[in-house]
Amino acid sequence: MKIDFDFIITVFFKALKAVPLTLEVSIIPMFIGLFIGIIVALLRIYKVKVLSSIADFYVSFIRGTPIILQLFVVYYAVPMIWDLFAKKFGWSIHSKSIPIAVFVLIAFSINAGAYMSEIVRAGIAAVNIGQIEACYSVGMTLPQAMRRVVLPQALCISTPMLCSMFIDLIKGSSLAFTISLAEITGTARAACATNYKFLEAYIAVAIIYWGICIIIEGFSALIEHRFSYINKGGVA
Amino acid sequence: MGTIVAFVLFVFRIYKVPVLNQLSIVYISFIRGTPIIVQLFLIFYGVPAFLQGIHIDVSRAPAIIFVCITYGLGIGAYLEEIIRGAVNSVENGQTEAAYSVGMTKSRALIRIVMPQALIVAFPNLANLMISYLKETSLAFMIGVIDMMGMANVLGNQYYHYLETYVDLAIIYYVICVFLNKFFRYVEKILKKHEKELVRG
Repeated sequence: MKIDFDFIITVFFKALKAVPLTLEVSIIPMFIGLFIGIIVALLRIYKVKVLSSIADFYVSFIRGTPIILQLFVVYYAVPMIWDLFAKKFGWSIHSKSIPIAVFVLIAFSINAGAYMSEIVRAGIAAVNIGQIEACYSVGMTLPQAMRRVVLPQALCISTPMLCSMFIDLIKGSSLAFTISLAEITGTARAACATNYKFLEAYIAVAIIYWGICIIIEGFSALIEHRFSYINKGGVA
Repeated sequence: MGTIVAFVLFVFRIYKVPVLNQLSIVYISFIRGTPIIVQLFLIFYGVPAFLQGIHIDVSRAPAIIFVCITYGLGIGAYLEEIIRGAVNSVENGQTEAAYSVGMTKSRALIRIVMPQALIVAFPNLANLMISYLKETSLAFMIGVIDMMGMANVLGNQYYHYLETYVDLAIIYYVICVFLNKFFRYVEKILKKHEKELVRG
């Protein structure tokens, strides 16, 4: 066995340049997903007719299929739908000119939305019902109570879950290379396409992902500490 | 295989075996901190290279072995975390009681603590199973013809990628829903037993 250490370092720095892209396709879906997740969670908690059963199906379907499959379906389906509309309304942009990152963003956002809705739902459920009753008693409407009182607390409670969700997203973004997006894994694969030193390339990639995850874990511990401090302060 | 790995790691960590404890921490953090696809490739390229170093040629070994190794190692790490959490949730008094009737450390663990911990851990175990079922869809990347690989082959034949992937999604969904129902059922049985224990 001979491992080419120089090549590991070369790939390491090459792949390091792709870190912003990986973060981009993780952070944006994180926020879109949070938005979707809150809406879906509210739909399901308040059992809005029809919509809540659609939301139920959406969540269970996304959670029941592999993320790579969702990626492929979006990758093949979105251009088709886009072209259909483009023909109908005479849009000038053809689906071929849409950057690949957009498909990745769409797929991951849809995916994150489903998981996030479960997290948010658990968070809302954990908020004491007395809080809402207190809101009503000072004359707030339900949307006001949700926005000003319940959701902030629910999000605080679910921070640890959200952070681990973010880590999952970053790890999930490594699948984007299958539809030829040049993020960390994709870059490394491109780098070793000529000399077949796959092992070295993947060692470098693994180290980068590991590093990112450790940093995020550190951050999340920090945030958690901060939030728990706020929570304690509120009681006093 | 994951169970064996998990159990070994677990023993290292719960009894804080020096050196090995630190090694397990690093191992678990590595598995949890890198995408499974990267681990899959690392094993796929790394194990043959390593074995070649000691003059064993595995270039003819089927790719599925590497898949099993990767998932075994991966599940091991996650499983260890779950079991450790569950064991910690079992009251300390249980162990002490076991000691007081003269059980050894390992017997107390196997006969008293573990059965209780497994009930606590069961929902998490079920989740892990389902999430790894979904992860197996990555095995096609190193040339194993699982469902995903099959869909790719069919897609290549007929150029109907979208349709095959939609079919595949439905299959995965049905399997997951079925497993979910099954696990719920088992969980109910386990919980029933637990309640009786408390009453008795």
